[in-house]
Amino acid sequence: MLFFLTINKNGIVSYFPHLERDKQGSDVSLLTTPLPLAVIEEIQDQLHRRKLLDMWNFGKNKNTKLEIIRLLNDICGDTLHFSWEQIQANTLSHQGRFEEEVKDEIGVRFNQIVLGRQISIRDFRGLARELKILEERVIELAHRNVVQGKAQWVPSVKQHGRGWQCQRCGQEDVEEWPSLYGTAATCRGCQSIGVSTSLDVLYRDQRLLIESPREVIFLPHWDLTEAQRLASVQVLNYIQEASEGRALLWAACGAGKTEVCFPSAAWALKQGKSVLFAAPRQDVIYDIMPRLKRDFPKYPLQVLTGESSVKFQSGGLVLATTHQVLRFWRAFDIIFMDEMDAFPYQGSKALDWGLEHALRQGGKILYLTATPSPEGLKLVKQGKMRLIQLPARHHRKPLPIPVWLKSAYSLEPNCNGCTEEVVLQIRTLRREGPVLVFVPKISWVGSWIKSLRQYFPDWKVDGSYSSDLGRAQKIKRLIRGEFDLFVSTTILERGVTLPGIQVVVLGADHSIFDERALVQMAGRVGRTQECPGGGVIYISKQISPAMKTAVRWIKDQNRRAMELGLLDQQEGRRNLERSQRSL
Amino acid sequence: MKDLRGVSSEFLRSLWYKNEPVCVLCSEGDGPICPICTENYLHPELGRCLGCGKLIPIDLLQCQDCEAGKGPKQLDKVVAWGHYYGGLKEFIQNVKFNAHPNYIGQIIKPFSEWAISQLPAVDGVVAVPMHATKLGERGFNQAEVIASALHWELGLPILQGVKRIETRVSQVLLSRKERLQNLRGVFAVPNPEDYSGRSVWLVDDVTTTGATLEAVAEVLRGSGVRTIYGLCLAAGREKKLVPSSE
Repeated sequence: MLFFLTINKNGIVSYFPHLERDKQGSDVSLLTTPLPLAVIEEIQDQLHRRKLLDMWNFGKNKNTKLEIIRLLNDICGDTLHFSWEQIQANTLSHQGRFEEEVKDEIGVRFNQIVLGRQISIRDFRGLARELKILEERVIELAHRNVVQGKAQWVPSVKQHGRGWQCQRCGQEDVEEWPSLYGTAATCRGCQSIGVSTSLDVLYRDQRLLIESPREVIFLPHWDLTEAQRLASVQVLNYIQEASEGRALLWAACGAGKTEVCFPSAAWALKQGKSVLFAAPRQDVIYDIMPRLKRDFPKYPLQVLTGESSVKFQSGGLVLATTHQVLRFWRAFDIIFMDEMDAFPYQGSKALDWGLEHALRQGGKILYLTATPSPEGLKLVKQGKMRLIQLPARHHRKPLPIPVWLKSAYSLEPNCNGCTEEVVLQIRTLRREGPVLVFVPKISWVGSWIKSLRQYFPDWKVDGSYSSDLGRAQKIKRLIRGEFDLFVSTTILERGVTLPGIQVVVLGADHSIFDERALVQMAGRVGRTQECPGGGVIYISKQISPAMKTAVRWIKDQNRRAMELGLLDQQEGRRNLERSQRSL
Repeated sequence: MKDLRGVSSEFLRSLWYKNEPVCVLCSEGDGPICPICTENYLHPELGRCLGCGKLIPIDLLQCQDCEAGKGPKQLDKVVAWGHYYGGLKEFIQNVKFNAHPNYIGQIIKPFSEWAISQLPAVDGVVAVPMHATKLGERGFNQAEVIASALHWELGLPILQGVKRIETRVSQVLLSRKERLQNLRGVFAVPNPEDYSGRSVWLVDDVTTTGATLEAVAEVLRGSGVRTIYGLCLAAGREKKLVPSSE
């Protein structure tokens, strides 16, 4: 979107969206060629610097005009021609209209929706369609908020030192290209939610997401376990009082970490604070959604994923993928960030930047994970992040501890890895429940299915991987317990609960399996009340450091749970004995 | 220190292995355009309509519209590199609407090689101009980007000076007849003497009916241009004569 540059009698340079050309305020000079906001800001900046250098030029309108044209020729080269036009006060019938509050239905609705948002012009187009109004009207409503000081226009990609920075995702990795207005840049970091370039603008609303506190009915539908209750008190204490801006909730796999945050969310909403539940992946969002809706009846919940049909909703409780969080600006008092170590959030500077900038000043982020990243643990160690632990599952049984089976052969396809010993172990596991076999690479899936089918001709054996077209269907059948044995890559590493499942990790020493993946895979076992135990076997030629760490983490959780009295005594003791025998 | 190690290992890798580019259109096969995308989008087995560049069976000279006299008349020949469909369509839209003019650089080698195999060398290339309002918003004219890439690749001079005067309704929703009407009087050449007696390639990103090319060609003829060849990245494909297996 382009803007018209204007100078008033006092030499003050200003701008307005090109659509509003004929509706401008007072007696001003107008540059007839509209410009990107970045160019206008550059000119304002240069003029300001020159003014400081040469106080004599101050306020001389005519000189400023020449100066601006000269600056523009410097920036844009000779591709554009510029001229000035005088706008007379008497031609302006709409004088002052931008200072008025909007009262019509659409205007009020618009203002509810944009609270705390960061919106691109492309997003505004979508909003115009949703509200069934013209794009021009949306831009006018947005600019009205800017004039009233409730919002800001910023260039989507801005010059930053010697380089560029995307203002939506904070990335400095851009593609430069020669434009009509000199060098322009396109951001490579957040393309997936729409283009962001230095010729574009973002609308940043600076108001709070919640205008006034409203009634919050919090009806938790299940009692927290003792372990959850302890963690939940600590979370609430952190949200209410702590000075640290960040905290880490380190939970055992399957301990029910999300619910632990609900009482704190209820408290915050009652205080009129805005709350965001974020997660990197859609399936996690759709998993949390019914639980939030159930426990917060009647409270408006915004659910935003790449697939949501309605992109613009309102309300102070938001559930969104980390990509959608880039569409908020300093909007939340509290952020609960689920599965912080999962793709695509883990390692994405853009999404991390987005999360930080969606938080209001003085706001708090609680990261939830079963497998914290080294960076997260470092912050805990340095005392910059508070650690809250949730070490036990609701059924008060310890986490199954993986055992190692040394394989004499490589487990890669066609290396004779499918030995009698491996087959025997799988057969033994099957007596307890269906077996989930993890492999490190897609190329292993097919050949292992083939080998295992030969050994177990009576079993239902299948498998899947990320690009498998039948994936969703197979996983549904797997959850229904229709397979005896299922071979999978890390797609089933987290998020799924499969009653009675037993786990085998083939090639556990493969570099693709870090300690987090190993813990998560082991964490598939024993998640339900009916089947709280089970076996986990890591099969590999060697023991990798990641395998050692994974087992240490699991044992630590169990020991801590024991200390806190969160495990049934007998189970705890047996578990301790077993842990002395394992890795 | 970690960064330095990363950079040096990358450097070593680039010394030892050739950095194999992947296909620009599907990001999977070998680059710049893999055999599968060549088959799916570039259709070397099909001919091009002499009148409008549309993809037609190899044994024909013109598409049905041009045969019936409904096509452009000012151009000596029009060729389009591929079918405006699938991966090639996405590529062109990504260039235009997602602000990636640089991507043209990734296809310019195969495109220019193909162009010079289809058309005689000329005195210069002319880009179809874009209207000021659209150009202002987008910040670049993709036809000019293609023309300038052809200039770098083949050494053909760029001929400037064709202007677009009025905003028109976008061509997309108009019929063939409306398209030709819509473009009357849109283009102008302020200094015809620059063009007199020349031969040119007239370059645009996409052509469907050839109406835009025709309108520019009309003013070029009026300025004394001798020979005009239309050249586009993509065009439509004759519907009725496509083999029934598809």
